[in-house]
Amino acid sequence: MSAIGQEDQRRGLWDTITRSPKILGLCFLLPTVALLLFIVVFPLLMQIYLSLTWWTPLDGIPWYEAYEGFIWFEQYEILFGDSEFWGAIWRTVLIMLVVVPAEFFLGLGLAYLFIDRFPGRKIFYSILLTPMMVVPAVVGLMFFLLFQGTGPINDHLGLPVTYSWLGDIHRSLIAVMIADIWQWTPLMFLILLAGMLGVPSDQLLAAKLLGGSNWQNFCKIIIPRMKIVIIIAVVLRSVECFKIFDLIYIMTKGGPGVATESISVYIYKLTFGDLDWAYVAAIGLTILFGLSVLAVYGLNLMSKSQRRA
Amino acid sequence: MSSITLNAVTKRFGDLTAVDQLDLEIENGAFVALLGPSGCGKTTTMNMIAGIETLTSGEILFDGDRLSGVRIQDRNIGFVFQNYAIFTHLSVYKNLAYGLEVRRLPRAEIDRKVKAMAERMSITHRLNESAASLSVNEMQKLAIGRSAVTEPRIFLLDEPLSNLDAGFRAYMRAELKVLQHSFGQTMVYVTHDQVEAMSLANKIAIIDKGKLMQYGAPLDVYNDPDNRFVANFVGSPSMNLLDGHLEQVGNDAVLRLAEGSEFPLPPTVVAAFAKEAGAKEGVLGIRPQDIYVGPARAEDDRSISAEVDVIERVGPKRQLHLRIGKHDLRAIDDAAEVRPGERITVSVKASGCLAFSATDGRRLRATAGGARG
Repeated sequence: MSAIGQEDQRRGLWDTITRSPKILGLCFLLPTVALLLFIVVFPLLMQIYLSLTWWTPLDGIPWYEAYEGFIWFEQYEILFGDSEFWGAIWRTVLIMLVVVPAEFFLGLGLAYLFIDRFPGRKIFYSILLTPMMVVPAVVGLMFFLLFQGTGPINDHLGLPVTYSWLGDIHRSLIAVMIADIWQWTPLMFLILLAGMLGVPSDQLLAAKLLGGSNWQNFCKIIIPRMKIVIIIAVVLRSVECFKIFDLIYIMTKGGPGVATESISVYIYKLTFGDLDWAYVAAIGLTILFGLSVLAVYGLNLMSKSQRRA
Repeated sequence: MSSITLNAVTKRFGDLTAVDQLDLEIENGAFVALLGPSGCGKTTTMNMIAGIETLTSGEILFDGDRLSGVRIQDRNIGFVFQNYAIFTHLSVYKNLAYGLEVRRLPRAEIDRKVKAMAERMSITHRLNESAASLSVNEMQKLAIGRSAVTEPRIFLLDEPLSNLDAGFRAYMRAELKVLQHSFGQTMVYVTHDQVEAMSLANKIAIIDKGKLMQYGAPLDVYNDPDNRFVANFVGSPSMNLLDGHLEQVGNDAVLRLAEGSEFPLPPTVVAAFAKEAGAKEGVLGIRPQDIYVGPARAEDDRSISAEVDVIERVGPKRQLHLRIGKHDLRAIDDAAEVRPGERITVSVKASGCLAFSATDGRRLRATAGGARG
């Protein structure tokens, strides 16, 4: 009798699961949620936990026992007073502020050239897109060679062999920026061209027939119609640029001194050089917080302009 | 306001000749329709007038001046696109103001002109809304208003009514006519709809395969077509065209149709065919309106026996599909009672019979002038 009762109970549970769409839906969601918990939430929690301790892998205790060196927010206090950290942030932002607008305007100009058909358009198009396809480490190596004292750039500019690019604290940053612009202008170009081709050609023609000069039509028809694409391209490149690492690591290793040290290079040094993982966790969280604020702001801006369009 | 002259205008796209040696004289203030089937080169002709397409050869003159070196922006041509090309990211006001703003007119003047034009096109209540929110009908008005506000020297309209619903199309047709009068502007209008062309234009240029077939007032083109193409293209239902051998049976001249039946020819047509010396074949054209049921009512009219195939009601009119031998003949006549399958006598008005050359489709006329009211 009790066996039958158990059977009934099991049946009952199965029925509740299969008959209620809500519970069944939750069952289907479970694997994804579990995976996300494992790859996003768990590392984040681990990072928060570590950032509140003194722990490094050299301590000889596993990370989950790091609470022995629990120090609350001391790592963050150190961080706010860490001039090398702020220097790296400033340098990264500086690179971003120079490189992204440069890539944007170059890309926009190139895209404008490419909306008309001309002989050889396809070939130039392919050539223009090539830098984007090259592995960043290879680009780094290329520009490392180009910017040597005895390299072709000095040679072409007629500069002496002693004129150093990568060894100079001011010029090394410029060299890095040039390499980044060379590599990533094509991406801007590609996105902006797609946006520009999306502007209806009859509207452009109508604007012309109404007497608008090319410049007026560019400002009043093309640019406003590309607003969303422009925001996407600039945000995408800014985020990518903030993470700049490969180019710098190959070209200068962040040097000379810390002249080209971006935030990624700084974190890399701390992680694999100093093995100061708790501190790195604190840096990572701080940057995550900062970028999240920017991202929310950017998304707001985008949805606002979308609503207007 | 400008007159436009096209001299031997030719446009080739690779091997395709879209427009072939086209001559056209559009007088100042005229309303001209370019009429033709799809792909006949009428839109290409218009684009060349606007400067959107370059000419392969020939020239286009505005008031006697060549504009070939002048940029599109500086031609001051009003162009209304088939799909209107409204700037949907701007407000209605900004759309109307565009042509004025790029000319850097003073704000106050722009405001005055835009408001006046909005009033004229009755879209004042939507001025501050996004142009994307307009209905098709309002977009049409906005497109015309946007071009008109800059007071262009000529107005070009590319099938502007083809996207509209029937009711609004009729309204807009009347409106366009009124607008043209009030602007007093030279207007060139591309359409494949002959009703539109007939009702709007004071002159129609009929184009086929890039060649000008006929250029004249709507009624002249309808009543007095220059060739077989125009006769067939203009008029609804279209003209009956019968191919056959010219023969003499007793005292009467007849057109012997392909399967052997005889079609009697009125004297005027016989005289016209006689103009082409030695012609054995000919084409007879008769408008369905010029065929009536019953025996001949005038001396020169000719009668023939025919079988009623189908009776079609086209609004208040009745269209008869008649059969003579294997030939189909359309007639519009409400007078007599007929039933499908019945054999009846029909007659053709002598004045309604036109003769065309069988070789090149040219119109043959008995007298040199030949034009009728």
